[in-house]
Amino acid sequence: MSMPYDTMSDTPDEALLVLYANGDVAAARALTMRLTPRALGFATRVLHDHAEAEDVAQEAMLRLWKIAPDWRQGEAKITTWLYQVVSNLCTDRLRKKRGVGLDAVPEPEDTRPSAAQGLVEAERAAALAAALTELPDRQRQVVVLRHLEGASNPEIAQVLEISVEAVESLTARGLRALKAALAARRAELGYNDDE
Amino acid sequence: MMTNDKRDDTGLETYFAAGRKAGRVPSNDLLGRIMADAEMQMPVSESSVPVSRPSFRAAFWSAIGGWPAVGGMVTASLVGVWIGFSQPAGLDQIADRYFGSADDSYLVDLLPAFGDDFAEG
Repeated sequence: MSMPYDTMSDTPDEALLVLYANGDVAAARALTMRLTPRALGFATRVLHDHAEAEDVAQEAMLRLWKIAPDWRQGEAKITTWLYQVVSNLCTDRLRKKRGVGLDAVPEPEDTRPSAAQGLVEAERAAALAAALTELPDRQRQVVVLRHLEGASNPEIAQVLEISVEAVESLTARGLRALKAALAARRAELGYNDDE
Repeated sequence: MMTNDKRDDTGLETYFAAGRKAGRVPSNDLLGRIMADAEMQMPVSESSVPVSRPSFRAAFWSAIGGWPAVGGMVTASLVGVWIGFSQPAGLDQIADRYFGSADDSYLVDLLPAFGDDFAEG
């Protein structure tokens, strides 16, 4: 299926949602093109499982379609609401994964780079994705939202329903843990810590 | 994307930059599924409801009131047949006064047996 580009690029998300609620298919397409990458990106980084992340993104967007007729203008940004839904769906899935035991969870992808090539960009991304899985859920979500999705601290506080101070604290701890995880990975793979 | 000087202190920015570029393109399959959901959940607007012209039969049926009206007509018909077969007491007098006498037809005595009682007070 080929999807056209977002031809309503100047139209705010909320206006598109109102148009969708009034039966405008083009608005639905524009929202799909605009919001799906965000939902999918967040879910992929939190879950580290592309198939599950796609399910989460689809479910989050489905909830958006359902809530469209009742959306209250001006109360929350649609992206914030969407991140919140994705966050909750991911948390549920991670809890279920923990419930079935570690043996049932697939091993993270082997991100070992080829010898003597150094960490090229794709490998850095893979190493980051793997290191993120070592963080506690909340720290991982905060780091992903802040440093990969570009959300502000107040927005993250809304998404996770915590205070801005708690976001700052989680971010600091998350970054420390992430740095340690990446350093350990580099050492394990025989790289000099010269990044 | 926002910038944050503190990121450089962590030495992680090169990883985040790589991470931001990776894995953000949804497959066409996923986009198709999401659009299918959108169309399925789309509230139906009045303009999108197809308006078909009713057939003559449907229009006639609707004009006479549909099943409730037919029910009423059937009941009235049955009552008429019943009255025809088992004539209620007093109906012949009413008919006589109405059709067979010079009396005012609106002065119908439905209970002739009590007429004397009323006259006596």
